Amino acid sequence: MGEDRRQAARAPEVERVRIRLTINGEARGFEVAAGRRLLDLLRDDAGLIGTKEGCGAGECGACTVLLDGKPVTSCLVLAASCDGHAVTTVEGLGGSPGTMHPFQRALVTHGGVQCGFCTPGVAVTGAAILAGGHQPAEGARLLAGNLCRCTGYEKIFSALEAAAEEVRRDE
Amino acid sequence: MDVPVQRVVRPRTLDEALVMLAEQPRSRPIAGGTDLMVQLRDGRRSADTLVDLDGLDLAGVHEVDLGVEIGAATTMDAIARHPLVRRRWPALAEAAALVGAWPIQCRATLGGNLANASPAADAVPPLLVADAAVRLASPSGERTIALERFFRGPGTTVMAPGELIVAVLLPAPSAGRVVERFVKVGPRREQIISMVSLAGRAVVSADGTLHDVRVALGAVAPIPVRARRVEAHLEGRRPDAATRREAAARLQADIAPIDDLRAPAAYRRIAAAVLLDRFLEACHG
Repeated sequence: MGEDRRQAARAPEVERVRIRLTINGEARGFEVAAGRRLLDLLRDDAGLIGTKEGCGAGECGACTVLLDGKPVTSCLVLAASCDGHAVTTVEGLGGSPGTMHPFQRALVTHGGVQCGFCTPGVAVTGAAILAGGHQPAEGARLLAGNLCRCTGYEKIFSALEAAAEEVRRDE
Repeated sequence: MDVPVQRVVRPRTLDEALVMLAEQPRSRPIAGGTDLMVQLRDGRRSADTLVDLDGLDLAGVHEVDLGVEIGAATTMDAIARHPLVRRRWPALAEAAALVGAWPIQCRATLGGNLANASPAADAVPPLLVADAAVRLASPSGERTIALERFFRGPGTTVMAPGELIVAVLLPAPSAGRVVERFVKVGPRREQIISMVSLAGRAVVSADGTLHDVRVALGAVAPIPVRARRVEAHLEGRRPDAATRREAAARLQADIAPIDDLRAPAAYRRIAAAVLLDRFLEACHG
């Protein structure tokens, strides 16, 4: 009995929770450990490895996804808190599989992708900037949480302006 | 990697949440999680049970008789964009737009920023100059306390176990020509923890004298502080060069900075004086 209790103290039972959420437009259900992060649910449970883990502390922005349309660092989001919410990852930005968002296309044509590690997060935040009716001039502040150490940002900002132009033309 | 907790519960109402916090041993509320998730991961805070506040209706900026009430689960992004906040409490809107970076602001909540009780919390100095109060709930009822009496030290508050922040109350600001600023010093504007931050607010009379002066600073003491000596000195004075020099000197007795990994105390003393001067320069213009 005493031995059992010490054993229990060393390896506490972690409860699992059932959650339902929409990922890239598709209703999905998962049973996850109580302390599961949204980032791990996306990469390991849903197999969506476009979202990257950089710092794991909300400082680099590599894991940025949209939660109900707002950019969030998925390493800091408890998966259980996403029950009933909608998540969009870089894979779903274009609306349908294989289709790129105008900002993703602009990143390619403007050389806004170099090593590529920050790109999924940058693409997600940029898409949120365009969807939120922000001015591309606000891009520097709004993209400040997505660290890019290759491009120097200028190419990312020109891609954002080009995509904003395209979105305006299409409207 | 999963954060080390055993259980997460998802109450649907505030009453349910308060009961869960009271009954579950070693429980903590979680809202945005932008501070707590890292602290759990690193072992700086721990919990067996997380009480997820997502299902509660605690977000939103509401006009009330005395001013506004900001729900504890209101995100920094929502505060930074709110037209009424931007117009009447501009320092708070500015600070909210500088907490972490945008993906943090879209998730981090005002209640979380207070509960985390960092001496460097950017939203706090603007709330202190607004004379904000915090509304706390527990199974035995609610109480409202002045924000100035809410913090006890780094990471600790006067909240009793099981108490939950439900809202922050901002009384309507005084009438007249108000100058209000939030300024901070750090290696860059976004995504850093402030070395020093300062919020200032003053009513500037037609003759240029300052009234109802309020100055608050972050990261220069164990808790965010009002600079009462500075405020008393500035009251009724014009912010000319001599007054500003004297205010900067008196400020040194209002603060008690320490050396840490972000900045030495001596630097913080100089930077705090510079930030105060920037605020007073804005009042002078």
